[in-house]
Amino acid sequence: MPRETRARPTFLSGPSRLALLSFLLLAACEGRQSALVPGGEDARILGDLFWVMLAGAVVLWFGMNGLFYWATRRSPAAHSQRIANWLVILGGIAFPTVTLSALLVYGLSIMPDLRATGDGPVIRVTGEQWWWRVEYEREDGSTVTTANEIRLPAGVRSTFLLDSKEVIHSFWVPSLGGKMDMFPGRVNEMTLGPERPGIYRGQCAEFCGESHAWMAFEAEVMEPDAFEAWLEAEAAPAVTPASAEAARGAALFLSQGCGACHAVRGTPAVGRVGPDLTHVGSRHSLAAGRLGTSTEDFAKWVANPGAWKPGAEMPAYDHLTGEQIDAIAAYLEGLE
Amino acid sequence: MKQRTRTVLVTLAVLAGLGAAAGGATIAFGLYNVSARAGHLPPTYWALHTTYRNAVDLYSGHPETPAPDLDDPALIELGARHFETACAMCHAVPGRDRTATILGMNPVPPHITEAVGSWSPEELHWILYEGVKMSGMPQWPSQRGDDVWAGVAYLRAIQRGEVTPERQAELTALAENGGPEGAAWCASCHGGVARHVPRLDIFEADYIEAALLAYREGRRESGIMRHAASELSPDQLRALAEWFAEAEVPRDEPGEAPAHDPETLALGERLARAGSDDVPTCTACHGPGPRDLEGLGGEALQGDFPPLAGQDEAYLVTQLRLWRDGVRGGTEAYNLMRVAAQDLEEADIEALAAWYASLEPGRGGTVEAPDDASAPGDHDGPGPNPLRRPADH
Repeated sequence: MPRETRARPTFLSGPSRLALLSFLLLAACEGRQSALVPGGEDARILGDLFWVMLAGAVVLWFGMNGLFYWATRRSPAAHSQRIANWLVILGGIAFPTVTLSALLVYGLSIMPDLRATGDGPVIRVTGEQWWWRVEYEREDGSTVTTANEIRLPAGVRSTFLLDSKEVIHSFWVPSLGGKMDMFPGRVNEMTLGPERPGIYRGQCAEFCGESHAWMAFEAEVMEPDAFEAWLEAEAAPAVTPASAEAARGAALFLSQGCGACHAVRGTPAVGRVGPDLTHVGSRHSLAAGRLGTSTEDFAKWVANPGAWKPGAEMPAYDHLTGEQIDAIAAYLEGLE
Repeated sequence: MKQRTRTVLVTLAVLAGLGAAAGGATIAFGLYNVSARAGHLPPTYWALHTTYRNAVDLYSGHPETPAPDLDDPALIELGARHFETACAMCHAVPGRDRTATILGMNPVPPHITEAVGSWSPEELHWILYEGVKMSGMPQWPSQRGDDVWAGVAYLRAIQRGEVTPERQAELTALAENGGPEGAAWCASCHGGVARHVPRLDIFEADYIEAALLAYREGRRESGIMRHAASELSPDQLRALAEWFAEAEVPRDEPGEAPAHDPETLALGERLARAGSDDVPTCTACHGPGPRDLEGLGGEALQGDFPPLAGQDEAYLVTQLRLWRDGVRGGTEAYNLMRVAAQDLEEADIEALAAWYASLEPGRGGTVEAPDDASAPGDHDGPGPNPLRRPADH
């Protein structure tokens, strides 16, 4: 016996839920991590592909629904065998063959652009749990090591050598182009051609452990001159602490063994387990996009990294006094 | 047939009830005489002892920690010295009798020359580590199974008949050294035993005290040291820590210093100084090396971080394995070292221990004395060890 279904109470009623959903979807289109707001050649090509596919899909959707409407409401009587045959031949064989072939040709035609050889800097990016080791390979054979931030010159194609330390990660800056997986023991090569200066956001796109969601980075596209100046500065050793507190922080940094895992070039700190901190104060974020770069952010991180990034390998330094942690934070924040 | 079954069941039930009542009465009214003087009936002795032997046979498989070289004289001496302080009160030693009080125990602990029997090393390890219920034989007072092997090595030497009364006296001799109470006893291993134990003169007093308290309070594992630290009061431990940090305890030279090929030493040095993507640099916390930055003021190694240059190699290998395996605890910053050591390979451990052990302790360009004492830290700790920089306390 059919029962009258009662509308279940919901968090939002139908229309307002739809509005909220569209708002959320649209919000993702803005900002610095959107494949639909291209900042470079690759993202533009992929964006065009997306819009072409979307337009085609919309046309097909209306076409199919139109046919459905016609067949069920406008002309529901049985059709002749001849019309049915032509419908199958044209709609079932000819149309998909032509459409899919065209899409294939179009898809293949954009691949050479996406796989073009790089003519800009060569950057080795290694995925770690859960941060990014970044090494710029310079023409003179030297390497400039940094972490959790990538800066690129606009107008040239940069080459990325993607590797991973222990698990599979995926390198993705949606505003600049497609993503590529990073495998332990294998170097994947990809190139990106950024065009529009700005700060974009990258994110690990392959589940890599409990803090996968906290594994992000900034990709800053700069004018070529500014990029060269930045790389030059990045290659230089760390600045000496400017204040007495920062000097005390530097001494604590060394006496507490921070240099066992972190390098600060120009000091006895030469560790390689964790991110290079030589110019950490000039980065846009701390701990792979997890925190800002204020002194308070540094202090919060040093005192208990696991609270911000569960499972992080860096141990808590909660045995230090607040004053000691503040001094270390002042030192790190000043490493520009 | 039905009637017979019922009769049998009723009889059994009545008997079971009577048995339970008898058992309950034995417990409730204390009918069983627990007097040691009363002892057991001969069949009871036989049943208990046979169960013990068969249980050891059944349960002693392969210990988790593999046996080291049990003929190592240093290991035998370490075992003998621990036995003297922890076990001889019940089992005596070759050339000495059990006391009258011990002979009054029931069962009587056998003299060690009988107790060693013909047990295999694995069986001896099991007995020492697990102990024996209701016999008075305690379990090893630590989770660690590797330091049990020192005791096994000593018991094997007794089995072989090597431990004559004269040899026993040599093995456990104490030399007065003018230190506070217990110093001669501590120094008999830390200085007397050529390998397996750390030298203490390169540590800060604070570090030694923290380690001793960690043993005493169960935060650091070792059956031998937990026993030793529990024999003394915290005040005595502090006095000993201060004395050992300053004193130059004459050390027995390691008989055969293990020779290492240059590659091993080079690997050890490279790893210690530069680290790898998995292993932090050791020198950042444990020296040796410049820690004093131009213009930054230098803060020396903290008391929490022991210097390692010139430390005993076998001790370093053991401790690094314990750190790697997550067994080692200790001072308040122990969580740092656990993470630091978690990715060490066995070859890394051997190379690091070989390199650190090969260094001149505190001299010869290793841990240099500071040129100026104007470091920002306050040096209000005990007087500086001549081998060490002052700590920042």
